Amino acid sequence: METTVRTTHHAEAAAAFLRDEENVDWHNETLWFVRSKRDKAATLLPEWEDLREQASRIKNHALSRLDDYLVELEKNAQQNGITVHWASDAEEHNRIVLDIMRQHNATQVVKSKSMLTEECHLNPYLIKHGIDVVDTDLGERIVQLRNEPPSHIVLPAIHLKKKHIGDLFHQHLGTDAGATDPQYLTEAARIHLRQKFLLADVAITGVNFAVAETGGFVVCTNEGNADLGAHLAKVHIASMGIEKVIPKGEHLGVFLRLLARSATGQTTTTYSSHFRRPAPGQTMHLILVDNGRTRQLASPDFRNSLKCIRCGACMNTCPVYRRSGGHSYHTAIAGPIGSILAPNIDMKQYADLPFASTLCGSCTNVCPVKIDIHQQLYKWRQVLGEAGAVEPAKKVGMTGMDVLFSRPSLYRFAGRAGRRLMKLFPSLANNGKLNPWAIHRDMPKPPAQSFRDWYAEQEKK
Amino acid sequence: MSRERILSAIRQGKPDLQPLPDVIGFPSNIADADLADTFLTMVKTNGGIGVRANSLDDVRAQIASEYDLTLPTLSHVDGLDLNNFTPTENLRLLDDLNLVVLEGSVAVAENAAIWFNEATLGIRALPFITLNVVAVVSARNLVGTMHEVYKRIDLNTGFGTFIAGPSKTADIEQSLVIGAHGSKTMTVFLMP
Repeated sequence: METTVRTTHHAEAAAAFLRDEENVDWHNETLWFVRSKRDKAATLLPEWEDLREQASRIKNHALSRLDDYLVELEKNAQQNGITVHWASDAEEHNRIVLDIMRQHNATQVVKSKSMLTEECHLNPYLIKHGIDVVDTDLGERIVQLRNEPPSHIVLPAIHLKKKHIGDLFHQHLGTDAGATDPQYLTEAARIHLRQKFLLADVAITGVNFAVAETGGFVVCTNEGNADLGAHLAKVHIASMGIEKVIPKGEHLGVFLRLLARSATGQTTTTYSSHFRRPAPGQTMHLILVDNGRTRQLASPDFRNSLKCIRCGACMNTCPVYRRSGGHSYHTAIAGPIGSILAPNIDMKQYADLPFASTLCGSCTNVCPVKIDIHQQLYKWRQVLGEAGAVEPAKKVGMTGMDVLFSRPSLYRFAGRAGRRLMKLFPSLANNGKLNPWAIHRDMPKPPAQSFRDWYAEQEKK
Repeated sequence: MSRERILSAIRQGKPDLQPLPDVIGFPSNIADADLADTFLTMVKTNGGIGVRANSLDDVRAQIASEYDLTLPTLSHVDGLDLNNFTPTENLRLLDDLNLVVLEGSVAVAENAAIWFNEATLGIRALPFITLNVVAVVSARNLVGTMHEVYKRIDLNTGFGTFIAGPSKTADIEQSLVIGAHGSKTMTVFLMP
């Protein structure tokens, strides 16, 4: 089936990001610095590689019995007084959240970082229905005030410099004009958000891990925002993708050792909170969301991506992500792992993303749960190619190469013609409009002879 | 119904059974004799202050010299009565708290995470809403790793949390700032 789709989103958006060269350099170097901190944290544990293997195997097991563990989680959570909901897609998830808010006549909600609610586009939905929704992670609040999505799952405002944030806070929070001191700006955000925490009717959090055995779930933050929200509001709604369930409490030890080390190089997050029962006078809801995950599970090629624990290590190490910025991926989860997950949600809209990779394999090497990320990106390219979802120019090029490489004499002729052409009209080869490869590079001088000719000559000698 | 639809889709699409690893976790790389020093070093790495104390009197004296105890203070440590604040039903009034003193039941040397269960917290919001946190931990309750700590804690309580230092953020140009939404300081007293 042939379909015509626009598939150049990523390249175009990356080109826009690349215009501010200084900012790109900073972005690249900062994320590499975080990646280096991850390396240091990893090498301090002699068992690091075995730990990754164990985590990977626990996740493989959990996925192979996902139905059982979800039922067990549900049963135990309900016994503990948590109301459990199931949502097939984003729309159903958002409706459940709104229904809960309406049951409690709630109009103000504080949200702590939950990439799932980003994936479901919960904020615009709630705002449309008259709910005041405030993101409380500092980075998320910054991008929310800018009407932008996060550009990184762990460092949501990593694409911004302190000057941008100083201007933003001057405009919205009344900080001094031109102020850029992170300490001062963070203090202003603390005061502003403290009011939101104290007034919120409902708190929404994500879930890092849910434990079938106990019916509880774990939420990890450095700022303490998830806890402040959840403990002060009368109602706590936790939203989780169904793949977040693990069998037992003892498995948390494995994942908590890996999560922060892989994310930021810290040995642990500041707060790792284990919720199991609502506090007296409070109400707790747990929403189990599918939104394409069962489809991913049913695909042997791509189900491995459901092991992801959302540490962001693959983004920090990715040479493409670091130089193109998270927004160029136009999906809730940017970078290598997001480029596997997004086409599963909408193959046409995200057909460009599996091509936004060098396939260098660095993402796979740092993944704490051993997802074969670059191999899955490679597989997506084939699936997209077969579905006719590949960018037309790319497709023409590939078909051309197929013809060329399968006919040796044509290949030799093309080589000769190319060398001659480049020698006679070098400006033609370096014209970015005719040759997109030359947009960011100068073409080399053509060699006098081909390797094949040279080799033949050597043989004669 | 979504529940049935999701479960049935999982049953149709899930892979063959994959076994769990026989043994979960790894032995600690920290010798028992080094647990306390490693723990105190990690408290510092996390942005906290780690202090050895010989007795609760010692802890009391050090708290009195570091914090203004005329400001709203709440202690949930037996034998360390520093309370001058009575919490009401309205949790929002806890916003006034300057200092909360809590007893950690177990602590992990490799990352200085200290476990507080619901019983020791009393009110769940306490360590998150207060400006300053003091934790009292016995060296007898130190373990090496996160694997060991899960053998020592009871996950069947309503709520429990590992806290590793004061709250922090690096969301503004990756500059580390201590004191995001939670406490701005955390002092840990390591008792014998």
